[in-house]
Amino acid sequence: MRTFFTLVKRELKSIKREKTILLAILIQFLIASFSSVILVGVMSFYDPASIGQNTRVTLDVGVVGDTDGSFTQLLSQTGRFPISIYADAETAEQAFQEGQIDTVVYVPEPTEGVVEMKLILPTVDTEKTLILMVLNEPLKEYEDYLRALNGVELNYKGIEGKPHTNYEFLYSVIVPILMLFPAFIAGSIVVDTVSEEMENKTLDTLWSAPVSLNQVFGSKVFAAILAAILQCALWAVLLRFNNFSIANLGLVLLLSAIIAGMISFGAAIVALYFKDRERAQFVYSMTLVAVGGVAYFIEPSPFSLLTRLATNDHYVGLPQVMLYLIPLVLAAAAFTLVSRKLVLARA
Amino acid sequence: MLAIIVLALIVGFAVYQQDLVLAKGIYTIGVSPDAPPVEDKRFNIMQLDLENGLAALQDGTIDLYLWPGHVFATSAPRSQYATSALKQYLEEAELVRISQEYDIDSAFPLRVEVRELEVSKSRMSSRDTLSLSEIIDSSKPAVVSEGEPVPPGPVLPITSTPDTGNGAGEASNAAADKPEPGSQSSMTDQAVRDQLQNLGGTGGLPAFKAEFVSDEDIIVPSLMDPPTPLAQVILAFLYVIPLFFVSVFFTSSFMEEKTNRKLVILMSAPVTPLQVIFGKMLPYLGYAIVCIIGITLLLGGNVPLGLAIFIPVMLFIMAIYLMVALLYRTFKDQTFFSVLAVWVITAYLVAPAMFSGVSNLSYISPLTLAVQMYRGESFGVTEYLLSTMPMYLLFVIAVFLGTRMFNEEFLMGFRPLHRKISEAIALAINPNHLNLSVFFLSLCVIPLVFMVQLASIVMASNLPMPASLWALFAISVVVEEIAKSVGVAVLLKNGLVASRRALILLCFASALGFLLGEKLLLYLALSVVSQSMFMDALFSSGLLFAPLAMHFVATSVVCLATSRFGTRFYPLAIVAGSILHALYNLYVIGELF
Repeated sequence: MRTFFTLVKRELKSIKREKTILLAILIQFLIASFSSVILVGVMSFYDPASIGQNTRVTLDVGVVGDTDGSFTQLLSQTGRFPISIYADAETAEQAFQEGQIDTVVYVPEPTEGVVEMKLILPTVDTEKTLILMVLNEPLKEYEDYLRALNGVELNYKGIEGKPHTNYEFLYSVIVPILMLFPAFIAGSIVVDTVSEEMENKTLDTLWSAPVSLNQVFGSKVFAAILAAILQCALWAVLLRFNNFSIANLGLVLLLSAIIAGMISFGAAIVALYFKDRERAQFVYSMTLVAVGGVAYFIEPSPFSLLTRLATNDHYVGLPQVMLYLIPLVLAAAAFTLVSRKLVLARA
Repeated sequence: MLAIIVLALIVGFAVYQQDLVLAKGIYTIGVSPDAPPVEDKRFNIMQLDLENGLAALQDGTIDLYLWPGHVFATSAPRSQYATSALKQYLEEAELVRISQEYDIDSAFPLRVEVRELEVSKSRMSSRDTLSLSEIIDSSKPAVVSEGEPVPPGPVLPITSTPDTGNGAGEASNAAADKPEPGSQSSMTDQAVRDQLQNLGGTGGLPAFKAEFVSDEDIIVPSLMDPPTPLAQVILAFLYVIPLFFVSVFFTSSFMEEKTNRKLVILMSAPVTPLQVIFGKMLPYLGYAIVCIIGITLLLGGNVPLGLAIFIPVMLFIMAIYLMVALLYRTFKDQTFFSVLAVWVITAYLVAPAMFSGVSNLSYISPLTLAVQMYRGESFGVTEYLLSTMPMYLLFVIAVFLGTRMFNEEFLMGFRPLHRKISEAIALAINPNHLNLSVFFLSLCVIPLVFMVQLASIVMASNLPMPASLWALFAISVVVEEIAKSVGVAVLLKNGLVASRRALILLCFASALGFLLGEKLLLYLALSVVSQSMFMDALFSSGLLFAPLAMHFVATSVVCLATSRFGTRFYPLAIVAGSILHALYNLYVIGELF
């Protein structure tokens, strides 16, 4: 056991010596700190409606018609639309072309049946999009008003909550990415160190040393897992600084460590089988994609389990995490069984 | 090996078909047996009657309880988020319900017809600033340039009477198809039906569709999909993945020959370094081009356009990986730098493209062009040049540096990164034509400076408003000063500068080269991203001799200080030069506003 830990220490040192890993972490951190520009963009993928909510833009809206003033009232309730009312289309058009207003809304008499509103937008694509998104909310409310005139009532109108997009995005995308990324790196490190050993034929010198083959490779895997746990813990701390806490942190880290272990043992087998780094890395990353895809269908999948643990879901806990020990043990057993054979099967 | 690729593709396709729900099971909710079914994978559903449901809600074992017509929630954050998520689901479910229970005219009584109208030019440019500022939160009053006559625009196609059918749109081709007034409402009915088709896709990600809703003439507010280019960005990103793989193979093979010392043998052969680099690169470029053509054909795009957009992307990725291969010696280094490069390149390409159609800044990434191609929109030559020029140039620079670095001592030596870089610069400079070399060096770093500054815009927007502007200001000034003086500093370090007069001359050459590149870029950038405060801050515009003098003076200060106190004090010299530069920029901005 002591020799094992000496080996682990040696491996950790060699990982630490690579200043590049620090740089890699730093860059990941910069990306993960998610400058608001990127976050808004990414969030708009996740929930497009959030663009309209996130903009602080005010629009000068020109209104023509709207005899009973109901649309104007809905607009002014939001408090972000300075409204100008025009008596007829010509003056509104002129104001629009002179740039006094951003858009013109023509509101006909609200009646039963179909009401056809007209919206004048600038030709520039970017502005058009923005105006449409920002105006969507008051337009929807006006639509409900017209529905009521037609005797159509929507249920569940009154319910409100805190905007969920951010929450779902952070816990279901950012947390799994940050917790699994170190595991992917761990596997990549293992492929590198193992195949390096095979390519440089440094194993021959180790044959004479009083350590077993499994100790040598096991120490590499173990060191990679340790590095992964450290990174995950670092992410948790950084997220905490951003006022964003992970519940069940111990279990989340345990699960990440188990996954890192699984991936690392798998990576070690791949590297021993192919012996040359380039092919091993390629097969490793391809297999990772495939396994990740399959894992999505497991219930609970590692991604969703991480999310649910981090959000303090009542129905997941240690038992679900422990289930993941089974594949880890299997991977470790497979590795110890085949490692010797694979090493001896020299190409 | 092929089997694994196929497997990976199949699994990826399966996940994609199952419409990937990212937040699967994030909430647990109780639902009354007589409440409508909730079919949204974000929710774990538990059937509970009212009493048990409320008890479970009290215990916190469920996040909310749904009772016909009512939602019970607690004030706990999780419960609140769940409520908002359920609201989103129920709103859509209600739309489906009313569309089934009522006739279409009662259920969707409001139709908004969208018309576009040309605005006078000056107004447009100032509005562009606003859409940019909307993202980076600066609001600058519009600068209206005078002397431009308002074009006699088309008649506003609305009438002040509620009658809508006739006269409403000679401009609109949709209305032109339907001459009789009565058919207008049946046409909008059709639009509502079309948009109802898209409804019902639940879950986190919006439905995958190539169409872009805002292009439609008729909008139904509750059915309007916000226009995200998600589908097209994914399409565009499909190209980048094989390009990454090809580049990684290229780097690996390069590294292997480097460690095998096969490259050293090649060096003694009668071939030029350029031939070696291109010889090694060409097969991979060939694969990449085949990939691009294949994907474009598969997606039904325009092949020449696809090639025009993605060849620069390919060269950009290759350039970065060539540098990785040349600068690094061990596999571990290379793995980390590959990972890093993947992140940086992905961020640089994808992040701006997500704003296509929202901000013109998105044109810094060629993926935006691809998004537009797949949307059937057009883009101009200037947009193309702005997004691809830096990439072409970077490739040329990388290959040039590669040929210069191609000697045994450099390739095989173990040295810290900054020393390797300074050596690379020293190798890039031709000792017989110092001034000319420095001139071209400063000219050629412009794309790099541009990319760094654009990245810094993204980073700086993290900070609150005045601070972000200042940070951006500081970063861009420092980056420019480093870019201008680094070549001269390397020469100083190697003792290649004979006299003070030669030093001043070098500084002038560097300032001139930088200014030329800057103006070229500015010319391109301004025609796409119309003049904004940020662009002014980055590339102080307008005058010609004043900026040249400023670049010259600032660079001279940096270089003289470095020459006087030694290269150890280079960072301090940079600070001094930057302060001068910043004062000048502040003065120019003060003049402009």
